[in-house]
Order: sequence, then structure tokens, then C-alpha cells
Amino acid sequence: MIYEFIEKLDNKVHFEQAEAHCDIPCGIYDPITAQIAALTVVRMIDLMSDLDKTHSEKDLEYQNSMSRYIAVKEEHAEKVKHEIRVIWGDYIKPQHIEKHPEFHDLVHKIMQLGSKSRQTSNRDTGVQLVEAVNQFAEAFWDTKGISIKRANAPYKPALEMVYPNL
Amino acid sequence: MCKLIKVSGNSLLPRYREGDFVLITKIPLLFNRLKQGNIIVFKHPIYGTMIKEVNHIDKDGDQIYVIGTHDFSVDSREFGPISKKNLIGKVIWHVHKPLP
Repeated sequence: MIYEFIEKLDNKVHFEQAEAHCDIPCGIYDPITAQIAALTVVRMIDLMSDLDKTHSEKDLEYQNSMSRYIAVKEEHAEKVKHEIRVIWGDYIKPQHIEKHPEFHDLVHKIMQLGSKSRQTSNRDTGVQLVEAVNQFAEAFWDTKGISIKRANAPYKPALEMVYPNL
Repeated sequence: MCKLIKVSGNSLLPRYREGDFVLITKIPLLFNRLKQGNIIVFKHPIYGTMIKEVNHIDKDGDQIYVIGTHDFSVDSREFGPISKKNLIGKVIWHVHKPLP
């Protein structure tokens, strides 16, 4: 009776939640894995482009390197999708969506850019993927009340990344 | 002085379950009336608002070691003690979610 009353009240005013945090089933969430994977996609596209420019002869060595770059690009584009899906599905709660209504559209955009990054070798697509994951990371850290900073990654392709200001 | 909070997660099973409500207050904290076994709500810089059991109070360092009752609880064994200034309140009333 009391519970039902409070629950109805909660549906209207949304009381603050306190996490009795547990590794199972909730785990530790951090978008940095997805961000690094997205950056790797762009790096692989750059390496593919460089290889193509420097090898006029498409010999066995060229084919071997190119296929390795493509395989890594495939793997990391899929990793981006996986990592974002896990955070979105396991961590993001209704109160986070309320604060950041863009979450669903952003996740959908990342899924599409991730797939497009696998299908093509378009650098712009890869850069868009990095930025979309950055935006996701920005909203993610905000749900924890942690401010962020933007800085260029200290390694190639040195694109701008979102980091928590801890 | 009092606040209703909804419990999320399962690290305090079986006493506290996901969906339970707790009423917390700051009053006992103002008079240092906190002891081992109390359930507290506090702010953690990484994990956000958390609810855990007081395991040990370091009065010299003004720090509190918290613990969960579930084997896989993420608590002071992982993130160390919490500072007293991060305390939000002590649980004074617990409303259980009815069992299905």
C-alpha cells in the first residue's frame, strides 16, 4: 500500500536513484574503448590510403598489408557498435534519456556510421564516427556529473577526443 | 532534511532490492551518529549516487569504508574509502518493493 503510493509519486516526480552498484550484472562502463576503436578505423583508412599511394605494383606484399588493414578496420568498426550497444542497453536509464533525449538518435547514428565504415574506405565517414562517439561520451560523462575536456589524441590520426576531467 | 531515494542495483541483496525506496536524512551525520552496519547514501565521483553499508569509520581521517552484502558488490574494497563530505544521508526508513 505504502509502496504503491510512493511508486506512483516516483512516476510523477522521479526520485533520485542510489546505485547499489554491483559488477554483475552492471559492470564498469566507459566509452573510451569505443572512442579508441573509432579512432583505429580512421587510422586504418589512412594506412590503406598511404599503402595505395606508395605501391604502384599490387604484389603479394601489398595484398597482404591491405587485407590486414581492412580486417582491423572491420573489427574495430564492429567493436564501436558493440561497446556503444552495451552502454546504451545496460547503463542508460530513463532519467538519463530525460536529461539527454539525443541518446537514442546518437546511438542509431553510431550504428549506421559503424556499418558504413565497414562497407567503405571513406575517411570522412570514419571521422564522423569518431565525432558521434565523442558526443555519446560527452553525454555519458554528464550522466555521472563529470565534466569533460576535448583534446587531440596523442597518436595518429590525432583527432579530437572527449576525455573525462577527473 | 529528509529525502526519498529509489534503490537501483543489487549489491545490497538480500536486504535491499532494486526498486525499493529509502528515506534518508542528514541529521545523524551532523551529530556524528554514524556506526558500523548503518546504510548510507553518498556521492561517488565516478559511480554517482550510491547506497552501501558502513563497514568501518576512520575517525582520524574522516573517511568511511563501505561495503555491499553481495559477493560482486563494487565498494571500498575496489574504490577505497569515501570522504565524509560526500555523504548525502543515512537510511532511516526502508520501503520494500513487494515480491512478485
